Order: sequence, then structure tokens, then C-alpha cells
Amino acid sequence: MISSIGLFAAVGIFSLALSAIGGATAQGRTASAAFDAVARQPEAAGNVQSALILSLAFIESLTLFVFAMIFILAGRVTG
Amino acid sequence: MSTHEFALAASEHGSDALFYIGPAPVTSAVVGLWAVMAFILLLAWLVTRRLEMVPNSRLQNVLELAIEGLHSWTSRIMGPERAWRYLPIPATFFLFILISNYSGLIPILPHLPWYVPPTSHWGVTAGLAVFVFLFVQYTAVKETRGAYYKHLFDPPLLTPLMLPLGIIEELVRPFSLSLRLFANIFAGETALSVMIGIVAAIPFLLPLPIFVTALEMVAGFVQALIFTTLTAVYVGAASEHHH
Repeated sequence: MISSIGLFAAVGIFSLALSAIGGATAQGRTASAAFDAVARQPEAAGNVQSALILSLAFIESLTLFVFAMIFILAGRVTG
Repeated sequence: MSTHEFALAASEHGSDALFYIGPAPVTSAVVGLWAVMAFILLLAWLVTRRLEMVPNSRLQNVLELAIEGLHSWTSRIMGPERAWRYLPIPATFFLFILISNYSGLIPILPHLPWYVPPTSHWGVTAGLAVFVFLFVQYTAVKETRGAYYKHLFDPPLLTPLMLPLGIIEELVRPFSLSLRLFANIFAGETALSVMIGIVAAIPFLLPLPIFVTALEMVAGFVQALIFTTLTAVYVGAASEHHH
């Protein structure tokens, strides 16, 4: 017998882990591409860096959307 | 605290009323908002009290550096001319969000019952994002007489397909803008309080919250910068004159 809270917690943790895997992969690819670009053209380092920070934040926000959704839905499931 | 109470407290983080002004409930997020506002006003008063052409005070130097840095950052997006004109909005957002994010890292402050870092509350960031949305529409109508909306009909043949997508994209912006900031700061606060709970049980793990705090210092600055940059990008796109 699984309670709805337990099920929700399991699904929530699993979906957060899944989105973290995706986010980590994407951020790794982004950072490696940026470092490649800087290694090739060191004079463009400033532009690459600002674009890098911006795109990393976009990627990270997807994982955090999942996190926020879990917290917002947690009140509904248990309430 | 039961699981149910914890989940409820988390989902309504900072939204129970402390007291009422007339019919309006005043929550800890509102009190936090006032505290940050008071701090910024105090800072502004201290700096502008004795303005000098060649700054002598350390505070004026620091803030001039910040404003000039923000100007050069926004002028990369919309050019130096429009950057000066629109700077008050992104610069105010940056200062407000940065101070609010960092206020959550002061050890005792976020655990007081009457204080929540305003940006860790969705209502506050949603308010900021809705303001950005409305300001973009106002700029588009006032500056370019609606030329900004031409991009909705861009490939004329595909208008029936692209118009709904463009409208949805425009309406989703406030959601993603506010959710990104709120989720980042709220996640940081949650991670920090969990780490502190772990340290209370196992004091040997003290470096853990210190590491999370260092991470949050970077994240708080980057999130303030992201919100500022995206505001500048949206306003810049709305005020662009096509020839």
C-alpha cells in the first residue's frame, strides 16, 4: 500500500533527478563549447563569457522550474 | 511538524499574514520588500547627500562604478544612446534583486518569522515580471508606433501559424522571467536550510553550508544580472527603429 504522499515524493525526486541529468549534460556541452571558442580566439573571451553565463542560466532554469513545480504541487497533493 | 504541514508551509512560503492594513494582509514577503526598499533608499540618500564631480567618498565611487558597469552592459544590448535612456529600469531591478538575494545569505535574517528575502517569493518576482511585460508594450506603442508587433506577422505566408506562437511567446515571458528568479533563490534558501539542519545533527559536516553559501553568492549575482539583461533585451527589441 503506497500513500499518495509517498508516491508523490518518489515521482518528484525522480523527475528532479531526470531534469538534473539533462541540465548537467547541456551545461557541460555549453561550457566545453565556450572554452573551445576562447581557446581558439582569446580576444573574444569577454563576449563569450557573457553569452556563456546567459545560456547557462537559461539551461539551469529548466531544472529549477521542475523544482518549483514540485513544491507548488506538494501543497495540492497533501492538502 | 508533520509532512502535510511541511509541504503546506513550503508551497505557501512567506504568504501567511503577519497583520492587516485595512483589508490587505501584510505577509513576511511584504515586510522583506519594505526592508530592502528602506535599505536602498538609505543607500541612495547617503550617496546623493554630498555629490561631487570628482568623487571623494568611497560609497559614491562604488555606486558610480556599478552604474557605469550596468550602462556598458546594457549598451552592448541596445546601444549606448538608448541604454542611458532606459538605464533606470534595469539598474533599479539589478540593485533591488541583488540586495534581496544577498539578504537571504545573512545567517539569522531569513529565519526570522517576519522576514523572507522578497525575491524568494513568487508574488514579488511575478510583480516585477508583469511590470516588465507592461513596460515593453508601452515602449512598443510609444517609441515605434507598434512597429515592434510586425515581427508577429513576419513571414506573411505563415501568419496563421506564426501569429499564435508569437502571442504565446510574448505571454509566456513574464512566467519564465519570474519563475527563473524565484525558483533559483527559493531553491538556494531551501538547500541552505537543509544543509544547516544536517550540520545541527552532524557538526563534522560544517563545510557543506559554507560551500552552498559560496555557490548562492554566485547564483544571486548571476540571477540579478540575468533578470536585468533580459529586461534590457525585451525593452531593446520593443524600442528598436527599423529603417
